[in-house]
Amino acid sequence: MRPDRSSDPVSPETDATRAPTSLSTAAARNLVELTKSAPQMRGISPRWLSRMLPWIDVTGGVYRVNRRLSVGLGDGLIRTTRVGTDFRLVPQELVELPLLRGLDEEAGDAAAELLDALADRFTQQDYAPGATFVREGEAADRLLVIAHGKVDRTRVGSYGDVLKLGVLAEGDHVGGAALIGGARTWDFSLTATTPCAVLSLPRAAFEAVAADSAALRTHLAAVAARVRRPQDKDGQAAIELAAGHRGETELPRTFVAYERSPREYELSVVQTVVHLHTRVMDLYNGPFDQLREQLRLTVHAIREREEHELLHNPEFGLLHHIDPKQRLQTRTGPPTPDDLDELITRRRKTQLLLAHPQAIAAFGRECNRRGVYPETTLIDGVPVHSWRNIPLLPCPHLPLTEARTSTILALRLGAENQGVVGLRPADLPDQHEPGLNVRFMGINERAVARYLVSAYQSLAMLIPDAAGALENVEVGH
Amino acid sequence: MTSDKSPGANADKQQTSLDTAAARNLAETTKTAPQMQGITSRWLLKMLQWVNVQGGVYRVNRRLSYAVGDGRLTFTNVGTKVQVVPQELCELPILRGFDDPGALQALADRFVQREFKAGDVIVARDTPADAIFLVAHGKVNRIGTGKYGDDTILDTLADGDHFSYQAILESQDSWTYTAKAVTACTILVLPQSTFEDVVAQHDGLKKHIDNFKLRARKPQEQGGEAPIELSAGRKGEYILPGTFVDYELRPREYELAVAQTVLQVHTRVADLFNNPMNQTEQQLRLTIEALRERQEYEMINNREIGLLHNADFSQRIHARNGAPSPDDMDDLLALVHKEPGFFLAHPRAIAAFGQECNRRGIYPTPVDIGGHKIPSWRGVPILPCSKIPISEARTTTIMLMRTGQENQGVVGLHQLGIPDEYQPGLNVRFMGINELAVMQYLVSTYYSVAVLVPDAMALLETVEIGRSGD
Repeated sequence: MRPDRSSDPVSPETDATRAPTSLSTAAARNLVELTKSAPQMRGISPRWLSRMLPWIDVTGGVYRVNRRLSVGLGDGLIRTTRVGTDFRLVPQELVELPLLRGLDEEAGDAAAELLDALADRFTQQDYAPGATFVREGEAADRLLVIAHGKVDRTRVGSYGDVLKLGVLAEGDHVGGAALIGGARTWDFSLTATTPCAVLSLPRAAFEAVAADSAALRTHLAAVAARVRRPQDKDGQAAIELAAGHRGETELPRTFVAYERSPREYELSVVQTVVHLHTRVMDLYNGPFDQLREQLRLTVHAIREREEHELLHNPEFGLLHHIDPKQRLQTRTGPPTPDDLDELITRRRKTQLLLAHPQAIAAFGRECNRRGVYPETTLIDGVPVHSWRNIPLLPCPHLPLTEARTSTILALRLGAENQGVVGLRPADLPDQHEPGLNVRFMGINERAVARYLVSAYQSLAMLIPDAAGALENVEVGH
Repeated sequence: MTSDKSPGANADKQQTSLDTAAARNLAETTKTAPQMQGITSRWLLKMLQWVNVQGGVYRVNRRLSYAVGDGRLTFTNVGTKVQVVPQELCELPILRGFDDPGALQALADRFVQREFKAGDVIVARDTPADAIFLVAHGKVNRIGTGKYGDDTILDTLADGDHFSYQAILESQDSWTYTAKAVTACTILVLPQSTFEDVVAQHDGLKKHIDNFKLRARKPQEQGGEAPIELSAGRKGEYILPGTFVDYELRPREYELAVAQTVLQVHTRVADLFNNPMNQTEQQLRLTIEALRERQEYEMINNREIGLLHNADFSQRIHARNGAPSPDDMDDLLALVHKEPGFFLAHPRAIAAFGQECNRRGIYPTPVDIGGHKIPSWRGVPILPCSKIPISEARTTTIMLMRTGQENQGVVGLHQLGIPDEYQPGLNVRFMGINELAVMQYLVSTYYSVAVLVPDAMALLETVEIGRSGD
């Protein structure tokens, strides 16, 4: 076939040697008023998280989240540090184990030594992909912490086939109960799906430490007592009820206990001082207001930073406060439709999925491979990706590691849904935009006017299942 | 079998009434306006938001950027011997802005040409990084290490791309990725030692490189802009950073380009043959159609203003396998993830994309634009545009852009209120009647197109349309 070359128009030959006979455009430009664009800025992201979050006006600077009293033992991730191929536990992280929760507050100084002693007794094992290192039915005699890699948790089903229970990844631990329980057996098998490093603490070693330490023994006794208190499946103090009874049964008496020291969210601040020379303001103010343009770009930069803080801030950032039970791992690596289905079933009413643009592209590829074409939805007239009618929005502030892994977040929004809410001050002096004010600081001796720009915000997750994360999403093709 | 005789088929029968051929002489025929091939839907012109540029020049102010360009190189070949054009070496970030032809020529001469077969490893991870590689022809995958030790493709390089050791690092380092040939490749290699020899011989070059290393250490944000200093999440009293937003000192200015022609109509035609259609008007209508087509062509292909030449190099990707697959379109959307407006592709590229969808069993739902059902991908319409060139090798380009001034997208520029304006941005001026009694009209349209920030547009290049993907 013939390429469509012949249709290409040709420019008329310009006769460069001829002398101009009239005024050139270059010269004419000196007389005209140019049309100018406002200053443009790269790196403005859609900021979907800030746009989609319902914002609550906070008066008094603090937002208190009252919850039902929780008597269950919390559970957390245990971080490890890596030197070459050797992994070591961070001793302070051991209190994330339900068994040791609160030990650091009870035992005081002795706790640090105790935790060090325990951390030292962990030994590392490396497994190749495919190795099964815990078998269902064998005696459970050790605590395992996954330091690196992904592990499949499986069980034999009622018809003799293998059931997949889930995927464990770094920071997850199993067998905590084995350290204090009686003779128990594993009720699942663990198989490495990638190269894995696992740290283990045998029961004998734990008992040896406990024998030496009275503090640990009293702590364990307290834990045992606490576990016996009535609680529901989420670890909240139970509300006693009676149902399906006949006759004159004595009804249970109950009350709903609240947490005694509820979590309070203070508004955090992003601030900067904008400098502008008064001469610039006085003389060069048309057609653009110089101060307004400076402020506009600074506010964009602040809002981008706020979006970053909403995800990464150690005090309230979403990525740091997702409940370990709400953390999922991808089944194979790339984000598949199956993984997203799993992610959105973990809570009622998932309203929003957030992912790095590259992760969205990777998800699109997995859909394409399966011949699945998810419908798009419109938000403010802009078509956005969606899955199961839940918008999947791009957020370049989500981390994308050098190893090309990322995280996909699923959120339920709004105070009425017990979801995630954004917090902003109700009213600020010199308010410029909601939650952001600009205050004139004065003009200094160098005739530079200074404006203090402050933005206050925070984010609260009302109950733990309001947000979930799909972790270790591989986006490399 | 009966012979089929139609009534009146008998030729030698006497005619008994007036036949139609004679009747036509008395009748008034109904005529169409003159028709014309080559009128396309000109979606680009329809979909762009147009900014009125009063002074004929549009200045795009941007935040100051320290980003060093990372452009594409061009090569010349004589037979099978390939050489890089010396001036093009300035596209390498380290040589940007350097203009000593002697030194550049010396560098260009030292490159060694090497050929790789598909699947060959060009550089291996963790081996010492000590050379500059220019891809003259072919596609190369850069492969990094995944989190669990497996391979992950970082990106695909193609004709004109390059990869290099980290020149700003003083110490020796190793490749952090493997580069692997996807197709047969021709690659030019310049070892670090040779590069440093040439630098040692040319003082100007040495100074330039020292400056580059200094500049590379300045703080900059992602995208290379001078930072806006902020403080966040701290408590108590501390000194706040003072800041100002710096602008580019010499912002790019877009002058309106022109497409012009002289329309000639003989006065006798204009005077006498004007019923029922105005001859001048019809002539003008077709001329304007042709001018608008040309305008759209220029807005895509012109070397100065054309969109194909103004896309940022970080916003260009290559089709993975050649054929335009849904995966490639997803990659494009990841580049313009903020309010993508529309794809623009040659109709044949759209057909090739349709084939790729069919192969995977995907049926993208069309979207509605002004009553037309338009093919779409992820809800973003794919508009046909036959002005996008198809090369001899049957490759073409697919564009994705965001539009509008408020969104910092792509905007069309024109000027309203020009003298003798006939349509927005287009005027018809009477030039006079010459000695041959021919009236002359000058028809001009003024236009330009500006990309306000680089991430407003992305290109999918080297899309093969003749290939059924594999």
